[in-house]
Amino acid sequence: MSTLTEWLQALMSPSPTALAIALLLALTIPIFLHSFVFRASGLTTLPSILLIGPSGSGKTSLLTLFERRTQPAQTHTSQSPISVECDLPVGTTANSDKYRSVNDPTNLVHKRFLLIDTPGHGKLRHHALDTLTNPQNLRGIIFLVDSATLSASDEGLRQTADYLHDVLLTLQKRTESSSKAAKNLKEIPLLIAANKMDLFTALPAALVKSSLEAEISKVRVSRSKGLLDSGIGMEDEEKDEWLGEVGSKEFKFTQMEEFDVLIEVVGGNVSGGEGPVTEKWWKWISERL
Amino acid sequence: MLDTFEILTTSGVVLWSKTYSSISPAIINSLITNVFIEEKTLPGVGIADDVSAANNPPYKYDQHTVKWTTVKELGIIFVAVYRSLLHLSWIDKLVDNIKTLFVDLYGDQLKKPHTTVVECHFDDYFDQQVRKLEKTALNQDTRTAESSAFLEEAPPSISESIDEPPPLPGLLSRGQSKNNHRDLTYDSTPGMTPDTSRPSTPAGHLLTAKGGPGGKGSRRARKAANAPIYASSGDEAYSKKGRAARSAAPKKGRKWDTDGLADEDSDTPLDYSAPANGATSGEEEGSNRPGAVEAVDQATWGSKTGKGQFVLKDLDDQVHSILASADVKKENSAAASTGLVGSSLSAIEGLFRNVVGGKTLTKADLEKAMKGMEDHLLNKNVAREAAVRLCEGVERELIGVKTASFESVQAKIQTAMESSLRKILTPTSSLDLLREIDAVTSPSTLSLQKRRPYVISIVGVNGVGKSTNLSKICFFLLQNKYKVLVVACDTFRSGAVEQLAVHVRNLTELTAREGGLVSLYQKGYGKDAANVAKDAVSYAASEVYDVVLIDTAGRRHNDQRLMSSLEKFAKFASPDKILMVGEALVGTDSVAQARNFNEAFGSGRGLDGFIISKCDTVGDMVGTLVSMVHATNVPVLFVGVGQHYSDLRNLSVKWAVGKLLSSN
Repeated sequence: MSTLTEWLQALMSPSPTALAIALLLALTIPIFLHSFVFRASGLTTLPSILLIGPSGSGKTSLLTLFERRTQPAQTHTSQSPISVECDLPVGTTANSDKYRSVNDPTNLVHKRFLLIDTPGHGKLRHHALDTLTNPQNLRGIIFLVDSATLSASDEGLRQTADYLHDVLLTLQKRTESSSKAAKNLKEIPLLIAANKMDLFTALPAALVKSSLEAEISKVRVSRSKGLLDSGIGMEDEEKDEWLGEVGSKEFKFTQMEEFDVLIEVVGGNVSGGEGPVTEKWWKWISERL
Repeated sequence: MLDTFEILTTSGVVLWSKTYSSISPAIINSLITNVFIEEKTLPGVGIADDVSAANNPPYKYDQHTVKWTTVKELGIIFVAVYRSLLHLSWIDKLVDNIKTLFVDLYGDQLKKPHTTVVECHFDDYFDQQVRKLEKTALNQDTRTAESSAFLEEAPPSISESIDEPPPLPGLLSRGQSKNNHRDLTYDSTPGMTPDTSRPSTPAGHLLTAKGGPGGKGSRRARKAANAPIYASSGDEAYSKKGRAARSAAPKKGRKWDTDGLADEDSDTPLDYSAPANGATSGEEEGSNRPGAVEAVDQATWGSKTGKGQFVLKDLDDQVHSILASADVKKENSAAASTGLVGSSLSAIEGLFRNVVGGKTLTKADLEKAMKGMEDHLLNKNVAREAAVRLCEGVERELIGVKTASFESVQAKIQTAMESSLRKILTPTSSLDLLREIDAVTSPSTLSLQKRRPYVISIVGVNGVGKSTNLSKICFFLLQNKYKVLVVACDTFRSGAVEQLAVHVRNLTELTAREGGLVSLYQKGYGKDAANVAKDAVSYAASEVYDVVLIDTAGRRHNDQRLMSSLEKFAKFASPDKILMVGEALVGTDSVAQARNFNEAFGSGRGLDGFIISKCDTVGDMVGTLVSMVHATNVPVLFVGVGQHYSDLRNLSVKWAVGKLLSSN
């Protein structure tokens, strides 16, 4: 008992050791807590560009090409998302650097950004849609399509249009979503990169655009006619799941501008006989940074 | 010979590859989609860690066999592709060794975030391994023949050693190389024994053609001199060996120990017999054990003679040390947590970690919680088989994973199970029935297809609601203004045709205003269902119907006679969609139902979707959904949620997962 009181006295008395210990604790605990709680999140997030598209459209190839510059690595079906730090190539200036002086030393440092690759397999698309609903400094989306499989009545066209429809619908509804990051996303540019232009059967970019638009019109009609999802009771209010302008007969990508989704279709190829053709895609990216 | 060896990440980038003859990338892509993503072979297998390639089921695709293994922590996959015709006994060993080497050499680079580039100069290591293992296989082959006579006296023991502590004192004293191969002995699959009758004969053909290296010939000669009887005729030896392996199965373990001990101080022939015995008990082991002995010899010889093939001696040493240290590490981790103080400390730390997070999960941590999860799933009417496999998958996925800050083990399992269920229930491709019908009934002018009716047939066990769900689908199609022909192919049960007639009459009245058109096609009772269906489809084509809905007789899924007629039916009617109706009320039987029906349509044709009926009657217990999808990988197309024609729903994965994991 006496030892306890002695101890307490020693602790409470304004002795230099007690003071030192108290000071030490007072200083270190916040630091410790901070490092513990904020360990996971990085300090700064680089601007990011999201790569999405159906399986086999060349997302991972494009990613490795942008990282390695000269030629893409060999790739297989992805199972997990990956993000890679890329530099803008020499000769392109990021939009935010447009008004810098030519002699500004910061120009010598390449503008860096994160390129996020997502798996395109049907069962794994939630990775991509999660990134859309909870974006981290997202500056643009590249939707890759395999332009050689987009001819009418091709299964590829239907799959691609389905996926694109889902992505656009998610973007359209981002203002209703609960996540704050998605709401803050004011304007979101989307590049439909028509890949594999080197192939003989590839459609030109203009045709890719029109066939996708036509197919999305069909998707949205059949979705509206389809059955309700299970779990939606009769009392729930009818949710608006219509993509684009309500009442319009044909879907056009320009209809998405109303929701601040700016869509462009640009052709190119990641691999091929005469090497990759990606200058236009780089230009698009540089304008978003 | 090996066709290709590739090292790739889960994100799809090939880090390193060696191609001997070019193969289609479709082989590895299909491995990834079927085994890893859709998990058709074993759930959770793609993310399981530390499994030897021998324990992973080989994947066969288009005359090629694929052997693979993964490293979960780094997210890399090692894949070896070779022709199925070849019998390469050393592939498993190669894949495992390469895995150890690659992880050791480039593990740091692989952990770097935000990059896919790995600077690796792996070719030399790989070549060295291939050469060594090939040579081992060759040696083993000759030795098998030489020493198989031994088997009469000393039966093979290694198949037993799988479950036993290190039984090789004789070999243990032989230096560092012992470590390489011992562990793998335990990893080898127990199912190897039946294979004894054909150990590496094809491989032998291929490899002998290459001719042995110079130094070895003399050694073999020496050995032959020491044991001349053993080098007798190979044919005879083969037959004996098979017999011996079978007859002497029960008392293997003891034999080996005594043999091994005796070997240590006695002379060589006995010593060589040990690995030779191993060789016969299974091709994989055979390639391991002699390899151990071989490696030491080779190293010493290399230093003496300095022949061409030993140029890579430094590399050899490095490889050996890496492999050895990896094995030592494995052993240490197995023998960890010694002493009372240590264990209690770690227990306290474990408790603390459980609350704060950052705990590395082990099997023991998960065991109790997984049992709870399994019970929970069983309570939700998931069939036992499916529940167990799901839990195993989740467990395999979680072992070795660190929990996040302030995340308990429970919560971790919950999220892992949620994502696993979501993955199972999400269909691979879109299930938009209306668009598929449109594509068939009004093909675009550019395509060469002709217009034809879209045929849907419905199968299932008795009394699950085939006719009811058929009429629900019919109602849905009629609302979308299709012209529908309902075909009564239940030519067996009395009243079945009349029942459909009533449905059709009701539907006609209900949708007359909306412009739908429906009629019944029936040929009465007693006719062959397949013929009726075929006639109906051609009738529908001539009368320009859009959709043909075929109702079939209910049949018990384990009745061979009734099920076999389905194959003919599928061939005659050639439906675009075969849907199976399963009721949500059924429990354990759901797995067998789904599986038998899925296999009943002959090869190359399976079910296209399930309709789960009576979901309104089970509340939260919608486990049947999971059981059926899990057994067959066929998606759920519709869910029946009530008595009315309009009570048909698409499956919402979120809804189903929510119900399955809700606790009450």
